[in-house]
Amino acid sequence: MPHHEKVKYRPVPVSDLFLEMKNLSELMIDLAYSAALFNDKDLAEDVIELEKRVDTLAYQLEMTIMIAARDPRDAEALTGISTVASAADKISDAAADIAAIVTQNIGVHPIASEIFEKVEEHLAKAKVADKSPLAGKSISELDLAAKMGVDLIAIRRNTDWMINPHETERIREGDVVIARGVSSGIKQFTKFAEGSSVKAWGEA
Amino acid sequence: MQASEGQFEEIVKRFVELKDTSELMLDLAYSSLMFNSRELAEEVQLLEEYVDKLHTEFELLTLSSNFKKEDAKGFLGLIRLGVAAEKIADAAAEIAEVVLRGIEPHAVLKLTIREAEETIVHAHIDEKSPLANKTLKEIHLPEETGMRVLAIRREGKCLRPKPDSKIEAGDTLIVSGYAEGEEDLKRMASPDG
Repeated sequence: MPHHEKVKYRPVPVSDLFLEMKNLSELMIDLAYSAALFNDKDLAEDVIELEKRVDTLAYQLEMTIMIAARDPRDAEALTGISTVASAADKISDAAADIAAIVTQNIGVHPIASEIFEKVEEHLAKAKVADKSPLAGKSISELDLAAKMGVDLIAIRRNTDWMINPHETERIREGDVVIARGVSSGIKQFTKFAEGSSVKAWGEA
Repeated sequence: MQASEGQFEEIVKRFVELKDTSELMLDLAYSSLMFNSRELAEEVQLLEEYVDKLHTEFELLTLSSNFKKEDAKGFLGLIRLGVAAEKIADAAAEIAEVVLRGIEPHAVLKLTIREAEETIVHAHIDEKSPLANKTLKEIHLPEETGMRVLAIRREGKCLRPKPDSKIEAGDTLIVSGYAEGEEDLKRMASPDG
C-alpha cells in the first residue's frame, strides 16, 4: 500500500494553491512525455512525486474554498475554481499515467522512440555542480536560447519548484534545472550544468 | 511480417497531432477563462470532438500494424500515450465548460491577468503580409507588438503554434496581448487594410 499523507488545512490563499496546481500539472505533462518518449526513468519518477504534491494541493484548495463560501454568490464564483482545479488534478493524473509507462517497464516501442527523437523536443534534468559556469548567473545573463537553442523551464531548489523562472533569477549551486530544446543543445547544456564540459562557457 | 518503418512513422505522426491538439486545447481553455471568452471556449469544444476522432484513428492504426508478440509491450505503451492525451483533452474541455456555463470566472482563475487592457485579436494573414512564409521564431511577435500567438487557424483546422511553425497567407492568427499592439499587428498581417 502506498503511504498517504494526512492532509491538514493550512491558511494559504486560494490563488497560490491554484496557481501552483496549474503550473505543476503543466510542467508534469512536459516531463512525462519526455520520460516516456525517450525512456527516461529519472524524469518519470519526478512526475510520480509531483503527482502526490498536486493531490495534496487539491485537498487543501477544496478545504479553503469550503471555508470561503458564505453566500450563494460566493458559491457560484467558487464553483468555477473548484471545477478548474479538479481538471488540473486530472491533468496531473494523466501525466502520472504517462510516467507509469516507464516506471512499470512497459515502454514505448523503440522504433517509435527513434522517430520521436527526430520530431519532438527533448527535456533534460541536471544538477548544477559547484564548478559549473551556470552557478551564480541569472537566466538573462546565460542567454541559453540564443547560445544553444535551449529554454530553461523549471528550477527545483531543495523541495521548491520554480516554474518558468523569471529572467532575473540566479542559478545556484545544487539547483536542479530542467531545460527543453534541440537534442544537441540539451546535451551541451547538461555538460555545462554538471561542470563536465571541456569547452569554456564563452565558447558555447 | 513485422510493422514497417513507414507504419511507425504514420503512428508517430498521428500521435504528435493528438498530443499537440490536446495541449492547444489546454492553452485555449485557460485563455478562455482569462478573457471570459465564449468564442475560445467553443473552439475548445470543437477541438474535443476532433481529438476523439484523432484518438480513434490513432488506436486503429496502432492496433492494425502487424506486430509480433515480443513487440506487444511497446505497442501497449503507444496506446497508453494516446489514452493519456485524450484525458488531457477532456480536462481542457471541462475547464472551457466553466465559461460556457456562464459562470463569471473568479479573479483567481484570471490568474495574473494584468489590469491593463489585454484582449484577443484575430489577424488574417494577407498575401502581401511580411509575416507570410516566416516562422514564428523569425517574426519576434512578442518583442515587436507585445502579443502572443495562441493558435493558428488554417483551412478549418486549429493548430498549436510552435517556434518552427510557418505562417501562410490565408491563415488567421488568434493572438492575445495588450490592446496597444493590435494596430501594429493588423498592419503587419494585412498591409493593404
